[in-house]
Amino acid sequence: MTLTAIWLLPLVGGILIAFIPPRFAKWLGVVVALVTLGIAGGVALAFAPGYHGYQFTEQVPWIPQLHVFYHLGVDGISIWLVVLNALLTVIAVLATPLTMRNVNRFIGLMLAMSAGMAGVFLAVDLVLFYVFWEAMLIPAYFLLWLFGEGERPARAAIKFVLFTLAGSLLMLVGVIGEYVFTGQQTFDLAKLATIAPSANIQFGLFFVFALAFAIKTPLFPLHSWLPSAYLAAPTPMLVTFAGVMGKAGAYGFLRIAVPLFPNPVGWWDWRWVMPALAVAAIIWGALMAIAQRDMKLLVAYSSVSHMGFIVLGIFAYNVQGQQGAILQMVNHGIIIPALFLFVAWIADRTGTRDRSALAGLAPRMPVMAGVFTIVVLAALGLPGLNSFVGEFMTLLGAWERAPVLAAIGAVGLVLAPVYMLRMFQGAMYGEPVGPRPSGDIQAGQLALVTPLIVLMFAIGLYPYALTQLMTSVAQAGLYR
Amino acid sequence: MTLAAALPTYGWSQALADLGQISPIATLVGFMLFAIVADLVLPRQRRSGVVAMIAVTGLAYSLGTAVYRWLYTQGGPAYSGMATGDSFALFFDVLFASLGILTVAISHSYLQKRGMREGEFHILMLGSIIGMMVLASATSLVTVFLGLELLSIALYIASGFARDDDRSQEAAAKYLLVGGFASAFVLYGMALVYGAAGTTLIPDIAKQVAGTAASNPLLTLGIVLMGVGFAFKVSAAPFHMWTPDVYQGAPIPVTAFMSVGTKAAAFAMIVRVFAGGLPHLAPEWQALLAFVAATSMVVGNLMAITQSSLKRLLAYSGIAQAGYVLIGVIAGGKIGLAAVLYYLFVYMFMNFGAFAVVTLLAGPDGDRDRLSDLNGLYRRNWPMAVLMTIFMLSLAGFPPTVGFFGKLFLFTAGVSAGYTWLVVLALIMSVVSVYYYVRVLVPVWSTTARAEPLRASPSSTLAIALSGVLSVALGLYPTTLLIAAQFGALPYGGP
Repeated sequence: MTLTAIWLLPLVGGILIAFIPPRFAKWLGVVVALVTLGIAGGVALAFAPGYHGYQFTEQVPWIPQLHVFYHLGVDGISIWLVVLNALLTVIAVLATPLTMRNVNRFIGLMLAMSAGMAGVFLAVDLVLFYVFWEAMLIPAYFLLWLFGEGERPARAAIKFVLFTLAGSLLMLVGVIGEYVFTGQQTFDLAKLATIAPSANIQFGLFFVFALAFAIKTPLFPLHSWLPSAYLAAPTPMLVTFAGVMGKAGAYGFLRIAVPLFPNPVGWWDWRWVMPALAVAAIIWGALMAIAQRDMKLLVAYSSVSHMGFIVLGIFAYNVQGQQGAILQMVNHGIIIPALFLFVAWIADRTGTRDRSALAGLAPRMPVMAGVFTIVVLAALGLPGLNSFVGEFMTLLGAWERAPVLAAIGAVGLVLAPVYMLRMFQGAMYGEPVGPRPSGDIQAGQLALVTPLIVLMFAIGLYPYALTQLMTSVAQAGLYR
Repeated sequence: MTLAAALPTYGWSQALADLGQISPIATLVGFMLFAIVADLVLPRQRRSGVVAMIAVTGLAYSLGTAVYRWLYTQGGPAYSGMATGDSFALFFDVLFASLGILTVAISHSYLQKRGMREGEFHILMLGSIIGMMVLASATSLVTVFLGLELLSIALYIASGFARDDDRSQEAAAKYLLVGGFASAFVLYGMALVYGAAGTTLIPDIAKQVAGTAASNPLLTLGIVLMGVGFAFKVSAAPFHMWTPDVYQGAPIPVTAFMSVGTKAAAFAMIVRVFAGGLPHLAPEWQALLAFVAATSMVVGNLMAITQSSLKRLLAYSGIAQAGYVLIGVIAGGKIGLAAVLYYLFVYMFMNFGAFAVVTLLAGPDGDRDRLSDLNGLYRRNWPMAVLMTIFMLSLAGFPPTVGFFGKLFLFTAGVSAGYTWLVVLALIMSVVSVYYYVRVLVPVWSTTARAEPLRASPSSTLAIALSGVLSVALGLYPTTLLIAAQFGALPYGGP
């Protein structure tokens, strides 16, 4: 029942909160999110390292006619994302301004989305995974549409939904195909990983699954929904939307595409196409980030680049790469929300997100500038902060697979300081230009990012604490 | 030898046994006659309420009878094999009776608002439901045609029920002409099949043509002609042209009723005749239906995008949904037919619910079914906005609503039977469908709109709320309904 509580509690809480008076919504939301975080944290603490397989499993027949089970479990891959999701939900709810219109609906939808994402990470049954995967789109759509910023949030919302659905509905063919073509009539992920259909079928099924995950991640060249969606998303939503939902795609690669299809070779070999796309995403995202003036868009494109590292690590097909990818999923989930929060706070105080219209903010908001420095340095992969370890491991894994992948991927490491520092230095230092900021960071906001900052240092200085508990797909024995 | 001895004996026990097999239909016929009499003799101002009560009671009684027989008796052939009370028939009896109750619930306040004569309306609905039930129980081509005509004729009249509304009249005329055309096709096909098989009893046809070569032109032509007629009735493309016009013109409760009922009845007919009577010619009719299914999914989904009338939009959506269901029929077997029955049953709740919400918008002068008429529904009546959202998400096939699980079962059957291309096409077109279903939600949740409250009568509210709850509950817990559907598909769920 523990794992059920992790997704059911925010869902039920969210539905309730949507219909209570707005003034209680935020605090009740915080309570629900905190309790969920407590449960998720408890599971993580009780998690047995070195045990390869699913723990805390719950299995109940759901649709016996199709051999569908309500089957939950966590392992060294998913537990981190479950905890990250719970943590970021707390931060997102706390970051919601009380002045927002219909704040109760907003928080209700946020919790529902968080429930859907938790379900994706917890599900061990393919149909259950798919149900959560699709269901989390519904609150995401309403959040983007009803609470979106900018000129046409409805347009961004429908673009996001149609893009994602184009992938995930085709994935349904894959889900059914796994059931039929393996000949075993099972949706159990652990069982499916031990039986693979013929290479040609794997080739086709890999495509439909990878398409869905690549759109969600997003992977170059399927990322075009991301800038408009991230631009439209309100900041508290971005904390989990950018911080966790993108990871769902990467998680899908790691949980389904890699172990279920060990040999997806037909007209070409997918095992080489994916890392090539990942490298392209790293470079393309970085170049696009350099070209942006809107800081929100800049961070959005930097996310494309960073997700490229994760996918590169996953398709390195070795322990370093995949452990690095998991670590990097957590890292990216810590850094991206912080970046978006800072961008929003700066925009709040100056009235603009255009980095070229701002300069010399640091003397007038010293604390903000100081904390922002840490986040920016973490984002560009400075040794000693969390992102460095993850990116290093993914590149190491890629090097083992093929040195050329690592060599090109490393260019992304060089480009990251270019866009990050240009944004940071341009806005913070130099002769003061542009609007005068209305104040420094507030104590509450500082408290909000403190856990993220602490984690950046903690993981950066002692990554072993996490990696020793992580299993890669290879270690978990999920593919041969 | 006397004449009496030469006549076949038909004693009381046999008569009662036959009547027992079709008892859900028989009870409903009784109640319909009762309603007609009540409508004649009661004073004018009391008529409508009483007739509505009789209709609901009769439907509930029929529903109860069907459930009782389902649980405790063994269904079998009746009337020398002309009809049957098997589980397939009973499943549809339950479906049609439930649909009838829902229809009466939403039409009562609608008819009062528009000042229409209520008595005739309910009686027509009962007649149409009886036709549908006959169709589902038919095991002879003659009974099939009988049921088909009974249900159609009642609906021709019902479509034109808004007597002073030109569009309603147009719809009735169009439906009558096209429907008659379709009936003629079916009849022609039946005649040819009879010519080839020498019998109209469907199980006997299966035996007779088992040895016949597939190239028998009578049979092939018969299948094509019947297939065309059936495609008309399920409103599958390319025989769908009448659907949007008739759906738009007919009063909304009628549209809601026939969008679910006619479709379900026509699918029952397809399964009875094709899967039951011509299993040996499966490749022929499967090819025909696969073509129809593919066209329906493409045409229905693409045409729905540009509609600004909700009735037309739902009409095209219904055309597309017919395509999805056909996949299950083509796949056949235990999984395929169970998926079809499951989908038809849950389609009742999601599609009927969507129409029912539109019914509430109607004014005394006519139906208000533009997309913009939904403006600000959330402000006007938020539970209805939430329910409408559930219906649209379910039609679009989002989990955890029934629409998703229905599609999952249909498509699993399709892939298992080797129709992967059809399933891929269906899923690609589903992406398109999400666009227009979500388009309906835009006005529902728009904040910049008038906000005078929208009142819903208790019975309508109950019917819509029940549909909404079941649209989610039957998805979260599909097992029981799926078992029922499998049981219902048993007569045709061979290997």
